[in-house]
Amino acid sequence: MSSTTLDSTPSRRGAHTANGADSGGAGRPAGAGIGPGPTFLRVLNSEFIKFRTLLSTLILLASTAVVMVGFGALSAWGTGQFADAAASDPQAAEAMAAQGGDLAVTVPTSGIAFAQLILGSLGVLLMSSEFTTGMARSTFAAVPKRIPAFIAKLVVVMVSAFVLTAVSTYVAGLVSVPILDNYGLKLDLGSSQSVKLLLVNSAYVAAVAAIGMALGTLIRNSAGGIMSLVGMFFVAPIAFQLIPGDFFVEARKYLPGNTINPLTAVEHVPDTLEVWQAALVLGAWVLVPVVLAMVLLKKRDV
Amino acid sequence: MIEAQGLTKVYGDKTAVGGVNFTVQAGQVTGFLGPNGAGKSTTMRMIMGLDTPTAGTVTVNGEPFARHVAPLREIGALLDAKAVHTSRSAYNHLLAMAATHSIPKKRVHEVIEMTGLADVARKKVKGFSLGMGQRLGIAAALLGDPQTIILDEPVNGLDPEGVVWVRNLVKFLASEGRTVFLSSHLMSEMALTADHLIVIGRGKIIADAPIKDIITGKGQSRTRVRTDRPDQLMHALAGAGVSVEVQDYELLEVKGLDPRQIARTALDHQVMVYELTPLQASLEEAYMELTKDEVEYHSLITTGAPVPAQSGGNQS
Repeated sequence: MSSTTLDSTPSRRGAHTANGADSGGAGRPAGAGIGPGPTFLRVLNSEFIKFRTLLSTLILLASTAVVMVGFGALSAWGTGQFADAAASDPQAAEAMAAQGGDLAVTVPTSGIAFAQLILGSLGVLLMSSEFTTGMARSTFAAVPKRIPAFIAKLVVVMVSAFVLTAVSTYVAGLVSVPILDNYGLKLDLGSSQSVKLLLVNSAYVAAVAAIGMALGTLIRNSAGGIMSLVGMFFVAPIAFQLIPGDFFVEARKYLPGNTINPLTAVEHVPDTLEVWQAALVLGAWVLVPVVLAMVLLKKRDV
Repeated sequence: MIEAQGLTKVYGDKTAVGGVNFTVQAGQVTGFLGPNGAGKSTTMRMIMGLDTPTAGTVTVNGEPFARHVAPLREIGALLDAKAVHTSRSAYNHLLAMAATHSIPKKRVHEVIEMTGLADVARKKVKGFSLGMGQRLGIAAALLGDPQTIILDEPVNGLDPEGVVWVRNLVKFLASEGRTVFLSSHLMSEMALTADHLIVIGRGKIIADAPIKDIITGKGQSRTRVRTDRPDQLMHALAGAGVSVEVQDYELLEVKGLDPRQIARTALDHQVMVYELTPLQASLEEAYMELTKDEVEYHSLITTGAPVPAQSGGNQS
């Protein structure tokens, strides 16, 4: 076996002289040192291959889509039932008529909390698994500057979270339209409010996935990373609500999970952040852990 | 060529590598020998830029690893057979690695063939035996057709055929003028594979010499001599730096003289010699001698150790 093995190595190395210190290329084997290295697009391609060749990733993506579409349909049915009940009550009917469009327009994004949880966890897992499996040693041996690999993975994570949420939202809308129609409710997927909800929610989920990936890089442990993410988005808002005191009432508005409501509201709701404030706060919640993760990734041993 | 200067790695209050200096030359297989925990893997991770040295530097072909334009084409490394996401197939793992350097798919297939992984390349690494994991690690190391190859304990878990294959592969790679740096804690393996040996113990370099020098030099050559007049020969051979030991009736063991010198002395003194056998110290003996004070973990069970009274109860 060994002889056939060795024969398959290209024999063009025969002329090589053993002058390894000369990195100029003279006298060195073709392809060593002078060949092309890891450009950002190549690293991005590598991260995309890694992303799509894990079955667990594909399962998480598929389950997000199923949950989004399923909740959209369920919510369409529930909204219709509510509208029917309201129809028999003249007073409620008046109220319904006033904001009937608004009631239906949020139906496609009803499952967003779950998309946020699943894709945020996916963000954690894609980086923490590098460390738990030892893959990080291969990754950062190939890209020793490390930061390009981090940014490439971040791009893959955010773009896939955005696209998946946007597509699932749209499909959820397509499924909801005929259901709502049964109850006489109209949903226009092309309306500016529908488009805005789709884009803002998708961008929000992409931001959560980025925070997840930063946590995965910092904590390097899947369970710890996901727990931190859940703590930030699901536990903290409830805890802040339960703790009495003006500070917590005020601070609650600045939690990352509470930025989505002002961002998607049709009109400004009192006691919440302005749209631009919410966008800045969410931006800071992404930027701080991401920058911290990059600094520590560069510094720490793999 | 790999050059380490004052290379040091300290974890907390524990010094894993303590200011080592060495050079690994191209065109030969350099063995990196040391007991477990001696600092071999830490040194190799520092070469690959994965761990930052506490002090000192290490360069590959004159540059720190991370400064190379195309690292995978410069050095290939097997640092850990499990540096793979085990839910991915071997082929996809190599494909993702290759993509970072735009290495063509053809080369991925080539290294898969070369390492004998063709039958399992599409399977998840999770199901791989330790030996197959090692082969995948070697495939990844060869992917960029690098000038320098670093293999950390490559024969661990390999079947005998695999061991021979690695041995031939590294010798072949060195014969092409590449730098091959290979670690092991098995001296017997090094004796068969390496041309040059760097021995490390407790983070310090203990020996750095051609393997021939290590076998013959440090272990002191000995010669077995059979003669019908041992007393007379003993007197004749006596001198500074020479020790003669009577091992049996008409059997002597001489240290400090080579067989030719012994034969000349015997001839001069008209003593008949009917056996003259050079006894090479095996590398294993030399290694044990080198590292006997440097082993971090001595086993506690020693023959003839007194048995504590209370533990005797188990036997009755």
